[in-house]
Amino acid sequence: METKQLQKIADTLRYEAVRMVWEGKDGHPGPALSIADIVTTLYFDEMNIDPDNPGWEDRDRFILSKGHACPIIYAALNEKGYFTEKIEHFNLRALHSDFQGHPVSQKTVGIDSTSGSLGNGIAIGAGMAIAGKFHKKDYRVFVVVGDGELQEGVVWEGINVASSHKLDNLIVFVDRNGWQSGGSVEDVIGGNNVAQRIGAFGWHTIEIDGNDIDQIKKALAEANSVKGKPIAIVADCIKGKGLDFMENDNAWHKGVPTDEQFRQAGIQLKGDAK
Amino acid sequence: MKDFKGTREAFATAITELTEKNPEVMFISSDSLKAMRAVPYAEAFPANYIECGIAEQGTVNVAAGLSTCGIIPFVATYAGFLTMRACEQMRTFIAYPNLNVKFVGINAGLIGGEREGVTHQFYEDVSILSAIPNFTIFLPADGNQTYHAVKEAAAVNGPVYIRAGSGREVDVYDKETPFSLDGVRILKDYGRDTVIFASGFVLDRALEAAEILKKEGVSVTVADINIINGKDPSKIISLIRSAGKIVTVEDQSINGGMGSYIQALVCEHDPKIVRKLGLKTFAESGPAKELADAYGYSPEGIAELVRA
Repeated sequence: METKQLQKIADTLRYEAVRMVWEGKDGHPGPALSIADIVTTLYFDEMNIDPDNPGWEDRDRFILSKGHACPIIYAALNEKGYFTEKIEHFNLRALHSDFQGHPVSQKTVGIDSTSGSLGNGIAIGAGMAIAGKFHKKDYRVFVVVGDGELQEGVVWEGINVASSHKLDNLIVFVDRNGWQSGGSVEDVIGGNNVAQRIGAFGWHTIEIDGNDIDQIKKALAEANSVKGKPIAIVADCIKGKGLDFMENDNAWHKGVPTDEQFRQAGIQLKGDAK
Repeated sequence: MKDFKGTREAFATAITELTEKNPEVMFISSDSLKAMRAVPYAEAFPANYIECGIAEQGTVNVAAGLSTCGIIPFVATYAGFLTMRACEQMRTFIAYPNLNVKFVGINAGLIGGEREGVTHQFYEDVSILSAIPNFTIFLPADGNQTYHAVKEAAAVNGPVYIRAGSGREVDVYDKETPFSLDGVRILKDYGRDTVIFASGFVLDRALEAAEILKKEGVSVTVADINIINGKDPSKIISLIRSAGKIVTVEDQSINGGMGSYIQALVCEHDPKIVRKLGLKTFAESGPAKELADAYGYSPEGIAELVRA
């Protein structure tokens, strides 16, 4: 798909993510907007998926390891047509809602893995990738992790296993927006040299601007040509990307826009009249 | 059936037979291939042996991923490294989505961990998993029952935990007796003054206690509880109703295991005195037999609890 079209979809997803948080009065909009361009490129350009057959065994898999950013995935699944009817009100985080606070595979159509307890997505993805090779299928497994999330030890267990099993069908995006719940990643743990660290485990690493769809496409093309190694695309992203009042302000890690801020979101993301 | 000795070889034999019939069965290892006596398995089915290294949380997650793609993974390693270190993964990524993953935890209990000491003696595993929905918990009493439990686990659609030992357990069962899906099997029925419910590798000791008591004119029934929190406890409940007094014996924490399960059934259906034998403290290194005797599991110790 043309980059311009994808950018438009990305902004639609951003708006929908903000709308569901605003309506539901709870959620993590900053982390969701950070990865909107990656998610859009995957769902609308790259992944081999069929919304009418979400359990299709040859499909590419997707795991949102940083599960708190799920509003952007719910929006993507909705736009892509995964639900019988297009969802108007997500009832995010409400009792009996299909749209849980963090992704749940058995509650939401199109979610390949439950996630949200940080650190687990890469190893789960490695399991799916091993199964793909075992079954001689050529699907790929995509995982999106946060940079703060990399502090979890189990992340490196997954990175280790993926390397030893030579999982070139596993492609991990690291959303390196530099922020985590408690503050900046650098302040919390002293360093954020992601590519160097993952590269040391024998992965193929690519560094890009994660809010630039052309760069995301290029990185995916490179990833698809790698043989014998898992791939990490370290994507420098802006937390809250797309809304001027949200960008790089970690107060939006979790937060609910006011009615006025939501109106601003309409202007900035949808082109509503001022 | 190939010959085997103890719970670990029982596992290796059973998973080999399962994989021969169904190539989707896999052994997922946390560097536990040798510990599970599964080297011949890996040689026979190299593609079905998935090594994840000394990394139990990652191992359980890999099993979760495999399971979503139709594989039937058996994660087998030390009981505590699974149920304690990887507890969250077993809960959130296996039990919550109700994935078809099987776990075999070895070195369970004092008798399982014995000389290794407290770091490798795991007597909390059943308590921990009892708190997690969707888990089927199998407590085979010896190697022969472990073999059948592993086979039976493959027939369950959903997460199963099988508690296994070191491989030096006393055989109580013969090789042919199947793993009872009633959750209970009466092994000695001298009368119902007291019913002793025993689980796991202390069953032989409970049986010996019954012989001691018989000589004293105390009539005891010994029942093996091999599944806890099962869907249909009716057979256990009818045994409870027939009992004068109840004693539970398990090589596990006194809180949250089989004893607590029986106690709850007794309270709910036919209140009477229940005396529980289980661990209340951390133990120490020692040969299995001596250790079990020292911590109250001697046949005489069990008999004493019945007399009390």
